[in-house]
Formats: sequence, structure tokens, C-alpha cells
Amino acid sequence: MQRLYKMLFSITSTDKYHEVVMIVLSSSHWRVFTFLLLMLGASWVGFSRVPTPTLDADRIPAPRENFPAPDFTLTTFDGESKTLSSQRGRVVIVNLWASWCGPCRAEMPALKKVYEANRHRGLEVFAVNSTFQDDERDARLFARDLNLSFTLLLDPDGAVSRRYLLRALPSTFFIDKRGIIRTVIIGGPMSEATLQTQVESLLADGK
Amino acid sequence: MFPILQLGPLAIQTPGLMLLLGLWIGLSLAEREAKRLNQDPETIYNLAFTGIIAGLAGARLSYVARYPAVYAADPLSLFSPNPSTLSAVEGFLIALLAMWVYMQRRKMNLRLTLDSFAPMVAVMAIAIALAHLASGDAFGAPAKLAWSIFLWEEWRHPSQVYELIAALAALLVWWRLPRAGDGVTLWIVVALLAAATLFLEAFRGDSQLFFSFRVNQLWALIVLTWSLIVAQTWERR
Repeated sequence: MQRLYKMLFSITSTDKYHEVVMIVLSSSHWRVFTFLLLMLGASWVGFSRVPTPTLDADRIPAPRENFPAPDFTLTTFDGESKTLSSQRGRVVIVNLWASWCGPCRAEMPALKKVYEANRHRGLEVFAVNSTFQDDERDARLFARDLNLSFTLLLDPDGAVSRRYLLRALPSTFFIDKRGIIRTVIIGGPMSEATLQTQVESLLADGK
Repeated sequence: MFPILQLGPLAIQTPGLMLLLGLWIGLSLAEREAKRLNQDPETIYNLAFTGIIAGLAGARLSYVARYPAVYAADPLSLFSPNPSTLSAVEGFLIALLAMWVYMQRRKMNLRLTLDSFAPMVAVMAIAIALAHLASGDAFGAPAKLAWSIFLWEEWRHPSQVYELIAALAALLVWWRLPRAGDGVTLWIVVALLAAATLFLEAFRGDSQLFFSFRVNQLWALIVLTWSLIVAQTWERR
């Protein structure tokens, strides 16, 4: 460590201080420096502790892990209105997709299977079609071809895609029972096991 | 923040790209350093590769061990490229174990090997900081300063930039240090990075807490103590 101290002081100090530092370092006082450094570090740990932590739920909603999910209300393919925040108490997967997106199509059967296996345990899937960059008729054909059973929503003006900072399709957000995003997976396709393990830990959380 | 690089139909995750670049540059520097210390660069490369493969496999298998029934029903998912199904801590420990076994079998000199990896550690710290910068992870605490950045709906400390500056400083120190191949160089780099974490974690807005203490600071203090003790002991011998 002496070589580090010598090098650092030779960079930072003037000749006058450099001489003093070299005298100190030539003795065993450098051990004292190390001890003081650790004491200073320990004091800093105590000084910078967080007595009242910010709860995840108190943060401003943002589309990232450990933040409250930005709320939205959209209509289903059948014209029914659905609001994300009304799903509190249930685990929700928000999946942003488009009919022309290959990975979206590839992961839909797994999403459907996981939804059907877990909906009785409190799982909801909001599959939000990026309608502003898709064709509504193609989206409906896509849903019919794959016989999708979960909630399919239309985002005609891209408001939800913008709020969720959509950069790639598919993008998937796993939201816990308190409305906090716990995992974000950008891109795909996700396998059934990936989906099931993510859902499993959220469903097991009793809060 | 720039988490995705969209190239036509291809969505490249920039944080992953940063880590790969860091690995590549870090490994090249480690090989060069090994050569300078009269070590076989190929052995160093193989050692790193062993660690990476064992780490990735260990991280995936550790994750699978938590949900055996799910993976038994869908065994092909074992090979999913999704990083959210990796157990990072277990993977890291398994990587260290595999590297230790490899070193024993190849009768590699511990101190020379550690010093060969010193630049890689500093470069990986830079890559991790850049990955955080790209993804917006490891974000700062809310603060209104002249240099605050607007991220996740609030003005915050640019903690990723602080992290990047500290990692660059560690690399600079490594470059300026007299390097004897006695294993001390690596511990100096580790000590610097631990000290930086200890200090900078206080400006993070997403610290994990243990009671009211920040977990990363506690780990950093342990690593700093360990690296200082080992460096000073080895320097005397």
C-alpha cells in the first residue's frame, strides 16, 4: 500500500508537502493512515444511513423495477374499459405487443398457458397492442389465430407505450399485488418457464 | 439513458453490449499484463473463460434449483438467453470456485495471476458504470444540484456518472502504479473501487437496506478492510 500512497501523494501534493508525506510514509505510520481510513469509512456508513427509507409505493410512478406502475385506462377489443390500478391485490403482467412483431407472436402461447394455469391464483394479463404502430384489424386477426384468452387492450394514440417508454417489442412488466413493478423484460420471446418463475415469486408474496 | 439500440428488426440491449465490450477490452488488457509479467497469456484467457462459462452455467442452474418443477416441464428453457433467470451471487461464487480449481490444476502462481487480472477488474467497473448509465439502473437520490439529471420522473444525483469517474480513476491508478507482480496491484485496485462504493453509495436512490444501513456500503467496508490487510501483508513478504 505504501506504493499507492506514495504515488497518490506524488501526484497531488506540492514539493513541500511531498517531503513531509515521504517522511511519514518511511516509518510505520502508514498503518495508522489505513486504520483512520477504515474508521472514516465506518463513520460514513453510519452518517449516510437511511433512517426512514423511501417506500417503493411512495415513489413517483415510472416504468422500471421497484417503482409504482404508471396507471392507465384502455378499452378492450370488445369496447370494455379496463384500468390497471383497479387490479390491486392481483399480480398483473403488462405485455406490449404488435401483430407484425415475430417475438410477440412466439411468446403469446406461453403467456396464454401461464395465464390459464394461474388466473385462479390471482394473475391478470393486460396485453396492450401498440395500435398506433399496428393495424387494428391485423391485431384482431392475431388474437383470433392464437385464441388468446386474457385481456387484450388497444392503445390507439400510443399514450401507454409512451408512458412505459416503449423502445422494443415485446416489452413485459411484472407488477406485484401492491402495484409495484418487480421485473421488466425487454425483448423476447420469453419461455413458459421464464414467465412462470417470475409469476410464481409474485403470487407467493402474500402482501 | 439509452437501454435499447434498435438496428432494423434487431433490438440490441446496450447495457449487455457495454458489459461484452468491457469483457473483451478487459481480457485483452489482462493478456497483455500477463505477458508483461512473464505469464502465459493463453492460460490467463482460458482461466477467464472457465470463470465466465462456470459462472453463467452456475447462475442458471442455481435459478433452476429454485423452481425445479417449472423447468422439468419446460427443460429447453434452461438455455433461454434471458438474464432475469440467472442467480447472480451464486453464479459469481461458482465462477470463483471454478477458477480456483483451474488454477490449482494448472499450478498457476496466485499473485502473478491476480495482478494479471487487475486491469480487467478496473475495466469491468467502467463497463458496469456505462451499463448503469445506459439502463438508468443504480440511479441517484433525488437532489436539485447544478449537475443533477432528470431520471425516473425526478431530478437526481448522476450516480452512474460518479461511478464511472471512480472506475476511470481506478484504471488510471493501475496504469501509474509500479507493478511488481506480487499480487498487491489487484488488491489496490479492489480497495480503490471498494472505497469509491463506500463513499458514492450514499448518493444512490435505490440502496438496499439492512436495518437503516446501506447493504452495498457494508459489503464495501468488508472488501476494503480485506483488500487493505492482504495488500499490506503481501507487500511486506
